[in-house]
Amino acid sequence: MKHRLGLLLLLFSLAGCVAHQASDEPEIDQGPPESPMVWQEEYQFSPPPPPWRLLKLDETDYSIAYFRACDDESGPGEHPCESTLAYDEEPFGYSRDLVRRQQEFFRRFLWAARVEFEEPSLRKIQALGGEALLAETIAHERVLKDKALVQVIFAYRGERVVAFYLTQWRPVDQEFEREQLGDLREFVASFSFLQPSFYQRLTMD
Amino acid sequence: MEGHQRNLYLYERFNARVVGVSRDETSTLQHWTESLGLTFPLLANPTGYLGINFGTQHKGFPFFARRTVVIDKWGKIRYTQPGSPDYREILQLLQKLHGEEVQK
Repeated sequence: MKHRLGLLLLLFSLAGCVAHQASDEPEIDQGPPESPMVWQEEYQFSPPPPPWRLLKLDETDYSIAYFRACDDESGPGEHPCESTLAYDEEPFGYSRDLVRRQQEFFRRFLWAARVEFEEPSLRKIQALGGEALLAETIAHERVLKDKALVQVIFAYRGERVVAFYLTQWRPVDQEFEREQLGDLREFVASFSFLQPSFYQRLTMD
Repeated sequence: MEGHQRNLYLYERFNARVVGVSRDETSTLQHWTESLGLTFPLLANPTGYLGINFGTQHKGFPFFARRTVVIDKWGKIRYTQPGSPDYREILQLLQKLHGEEVQK
């Protein structure tokens, strides 16, 4: 039987809404060097190998992020020459269908960088113990002549979509280093949840 | 807005509906709704009286300040919070209010 309208949320002033909710300072239990990392008692994963380094997050676009620059290994690299590998509990978009979600995601992802995405290639895969979608594309920043290789893995945590991604920036005349995508795959393969999410707990009763 | 759209299925479970209110004209809101893919209603209130009633229309400003208001089925305001929405706090409140609604 349908309920009558019970509660009403009124939202004033629609401009400039943020998509992500601020989170507390992450608590990290790194344990011994070879052991998996435990994050806020929520996630467990093997960190990507050096020179990837944990990014201190001062915004909320990611839940967990690692960063590496070309000069981490072989001297100063040409700008832009850097990569980000991240897990996002609330990726852009809202659909719980993975194909629709990736469409919504790429409308917002890297919006501040003013890039144009090529049509992503999509592949169904398994991740986090279930159905997932791998999307890969190249973003072009035609004014600064930069480009970015972007691979995103959309998966489920309970009913909600979460995402892992790798963004590798390069000058337009340089080749991408696709072997970094292996670091993303290993990160995802090692990733597990230690407890039900906030949203799962909310609907358990 | 995207956060609310993402949580719509949970609002539905808690028997809640979400409505946005703005001083923009309907044509602006129509464009905005389509570009963001929003499926909940946005109300155009160019005269601003709703904002005045809810304390979001600051003197001299042509737009509302952000505020989230939760009204229960009996018309009572149960929550009002300025600024960016705290989605988790809102969901926890809706869960609690829905529990009250079911018990009555």
